[in-house]
Amino acid sequence: MESKKELPKFAVLQLSGCSGCEVSLLNSDEWINDFNLVYMPLVVTTNKIPDDVEVLLVSGGVRTDEDIHNLRKGASRSKKVIAVGTCALSGGVAQIRETHQARDTYLLSSHRLRLPDMLPRAFPIDRFVPVDLYLPGCPPTPQLFMTALKEGENAKIASIVCQECGRQKLQDMRPTSITGMRSGVTLPDICLINQGYLCVGTSTRGGCGALCTRPGHACVGCRGPANPYLNKEPKFVLDNLRRVFTRMTDIPEEEINEALESPWLSLFLDQFTDYTQDESLPLRTKEKMI
Amino acid sequence: MTTITYPLSRIEGHARVVIDIHDDEVFRADFQAMEMRGFSYYVQGVPAEQITVIVPRICGVCSTAHQVASVKALEDVFGVTPPPLAEEIREVLLLGQLIQNQATSLFIFTMPDRLNASSLFEVSETQKEKERQFSLAQMALRVRKIGTDLISLAGGQFIHPIKTTIGGVTSGIPRQKADEMIMTIDELLPVAYNLVDTYWQMSMEMGNRIGSWGDDEPTYYLASTESNHFRLNSKRLRLMCPEGRECQTFDAHEFESYLQVEDSDYSYAGISSFQGNIMRANSLARINLTTSFGTPKADAFLKRFVETFGRPAHAIMFFDLCRGIELVHALEKSRLMLEADLEHGETEVGYTPRDGVGYGLVEAPRGPLIHHYEVENGLIKNADFIIPTVHNMLAIRRALMVAAKRYVSSDGISSELGRAVGRVVRAFDPCIACATK
Repeated sequence: MESKKELPKFAVLQLSGCSGCEVSLLNSDEWINDFNLVYMPLVVTTNKIPDDVEVLLVSGGVRTDEDIHNLRKGASRSKKVIAVGTCALSGGVAQIRETHQARDTYLLSSHRLRLPDMLPRAFPIDRFVPVDLYLPGCPPTPQLFMTALKEGENAKIASIVCQECGRQKLQDMRPTSITGMRSGVTLPDICLINQGYLCVGTSTRGGCGALCTRPGHACVGCRGPANPYLNKEPKFVLDNLRRVFTRMTDIPEEEINEALESPWLSLFLDQFTDYTQDESLPLRTKEKMI
Repeated sequence: MTTITYPLSRIEGHARVVIDIHDDEVFRADFQAMEMRGFSYYVQGVPAEQITVIVPRICGVCSTAHQVASVKALEDVFGVTPPPLAEEIREVLLLGQLIQNQATSLFIFTMPDRLNASSLFEVSETQKEKERQFSLAQMALRVRKIGTDLISLAGGQFIHPIKTTIGGVTSGIPRQKADEMIMTIDELLPVAYNLVDTYWQMSMEMGNRIGSWGDDEPTYYLASTESNHFRLNSKRLRLMCPEGRECQTFDAHEFESYLQVEDSDYSYAGISSFQGNIMRANSLARINLTTSFGTPKADAFLKRFVETFGRPAHAIMFFDLCRGIELVHALEKSRLMLEADLEHGETEVGYTPRDGVGYGLVEAPRGPLIHHYEVENGLIKNADFIIPTVHNMLAIRRALMVAAKRYVSSDGISSELGRAVGRVVRAFDPCIACATK
């Protein structure tokens, strides 16, 4: 604590999001003695990001004109920018049902005098500023925050969620429909796909410790595509999932296709793959992904 | 006309206070939510069973309450009754959220106001103050962590929990894990008790220094906990009238007959009222509506509170003290609940989806939260979220007006106004992400 004022300056800029990333960061106190927290409105009374910030974490998507302003200002004063959470990487949950007519209704109702204007969609932050490191997750776990802060580009991350799940994939347990969650029974230790869950852990980036699948909830893909599918069209992820379900289950092909194409996966899968459709965005290399 | 804008920190989300002053007279004091989340729009058309994964993302601070309310609403649509063990585990989950939320509000958001610091993590100038603050911060974070650990234990993960599913919960709480948690609570309950006691004294000193505990006009109070059974996995809403009589009781599906919810033109958040009247939810509403917690330390604090400030108590700074009482109770109560066997027995039942309308109610840290869904062809046709912070919007506005009038006079605008505005808003612990769902 003595020399805290000489420690590297650390700032956390929250754009449009849910504060979940900030709360996750607060769940680890390991950074408190390594950094001097100079900006984080959730816990500190400060109105502006000071100069010479060593590390700037940015959470949330770019959703208002004020977000663009704050993001550009913050990034210009910082040496290293880390995008944290699904919203900063993809625009986030606000992107679901982007094409739906509900979107128009929303925009019509979202204008107020004397308040920041809402943009027509939520943008990932690297559309506006260069990003040095990406930390996907909704939210990233406290451990992943520490990995990003302490190891950065040198971090070693589990390639897919299955690696950390510990549930066993069985040859002879082949479900015939994707309605496992309606059965009222979740068997421990056995792969959720064997139990008829639409689990996308086989294509999703690991590092989360499989904290959803281990207690019995299907992976929804919040960490985004695993390395082989980075910067690729949605088709590549969906094809891989289709192969997994064909190999491990007796679910009719039409049902698998219908599930993969339905809004079931819109929360995360569509968001990340949507990213590849925008040519104005920089490529994200696997070296920059935590 | 002079317009002063105060940006706000140490609250959830983006908000500010705008005060209009003309000839030393305060015309408006608005609390503005600065962004719109818009969930009620973009969940339209998603498969109903997926909404329980989407809506916790309304807010990373309140995700637990949203997840449980969402599951309960779909259970109502599908006609499913979860087994008793699942209801118990959900209660532990919600107690965990209350612990982490009240600890965050008390120590991270509002204690700095009492310490005259910019944050709990601020480095003070003198060695003595530095040591005191460091020790307070460490104790506060440890107490808060009990809440996050309880959510992880009962909910699978701390933010956006996943174990509560339609029909129950996916798994129980292993004995060994429950015992470890009990040991931690036993170790930290006295620490939490002392922290709350310290906070109480700091608040009394602050109240004396300022000469006011803020807006204390009698008001309606809304909560869904019972008078002598503090259950967060709640069933019915209760309303206390300004003179202190419990005057209405109603079910979630009747809410539209009692609560009016509308948009506001000065904020992205809506406002709600009891038939046009200002009301308050959150800790002070629950304490005013609670006669007994049934746990010794919390009941001792409750007695102290009622003897000192009366019942109902109205000044807004009491919200902060009441959070302390609830923190102590939630620690005592979760310890008691973890003694039971939460590992063996039926945790979930099967279900068959069907179309229809459903309501899910829980008592979130900020007050009663209702999710209301209409399902058609297996898809969400309409979703409505009745948000606790929105119940407080008119009360926040009135309290800001009271504070502004106190600090604006013919001598000018007191520099204390900026601090007062922060204290007023933090007393209500608003959640902007939720309020602009």
